[in-house]
Amino acid sequence: MIMTSRLRKFALAAHITLAVGWIGAVAGYIALDVAAATSQDAQTLRAAYLAMEVIAWYVIVPLALASLLSGLVMSVGTKWGLFRHYWVLISLLLTIIATVVLVVETQTISHFADIAADPTTSGDDLGALGSTLVHSAGGTVVLLVILVLNVYKPRGMTRYGWRKQQEERRNKEFG
Amino acid sequence: MANRPPYPGIPRWVKVFGIIVTVVVLLVVTMTFIGSVEHGPGRHTPSGDAGGRVLPSSIMEEYAPPEGGRG
Repeated sequence: MIMTSRLRKFALAAHITLAVGWIGAVAGYIALDVAAATSQDAQTLRAAYLAMEVIAWYVIVPLALASLLSGLVMSVGTKWGLFRHYWVLISLLLTIIATVVLVVETQTISHFADIAADPTTSGDDLGALGSTLVHSAGGTVVLLVILVLNVYKPRGMTRYGWRKQQEERRNKEFG
Repeated sequence: MANRPPYPGIPRWVKVFGIIVTVVVLLVVTMTFIGSVEHGPGRHTPSGDAGGRVLPSSIMEEYAPPEGGRG
């Protein structure tokens, strides 16, 4: 079902807000992740791990799921479709992969935060926890790739999209 | 019935993108196997890969690694 122009603009505004918000939230998370990776100060490490858990669970994961959902609505409700164009298909796959990796990674983040929340954990032990920088930096790259694909919308139809387009053209020509 | 025009094929940018993704995945897999990069959920446990930072045993005795969902 193709959305009306007014509804499509509203859905697009919501999708852009959620998707760009996801990137912004990850940027904030990376700042804490860098602090966790580089700081030797126990208070900084403790604060960083606890804040990382809150941002991951209450900002990044909801934004990721909402972006995925709003992206699906935008695809199905517009002429682009979900499987017709390569840029849509690749964006969908990358978003699903990024969301799955994020949800798995939040288990590790919660584990770090549980240890950091314990007042008996020493500064040395906190310093030995490490960071999730590899995942957060990798995730940012994936999100930026999706952003570029969505802005430039490079040409190229899938075989399914091509077939559908030909069928629609034929139906228009012959009524 | 009119002949359907042939499918123009997969665009070049998709092929290039696929090659780049394949190379990156192979690199990550290779680096994980040779242990030069900490990767995977197991890296924060005592049996994690060799190159990773391992939690002190005092912590690991008290905190089991995360399993399944939260809460």
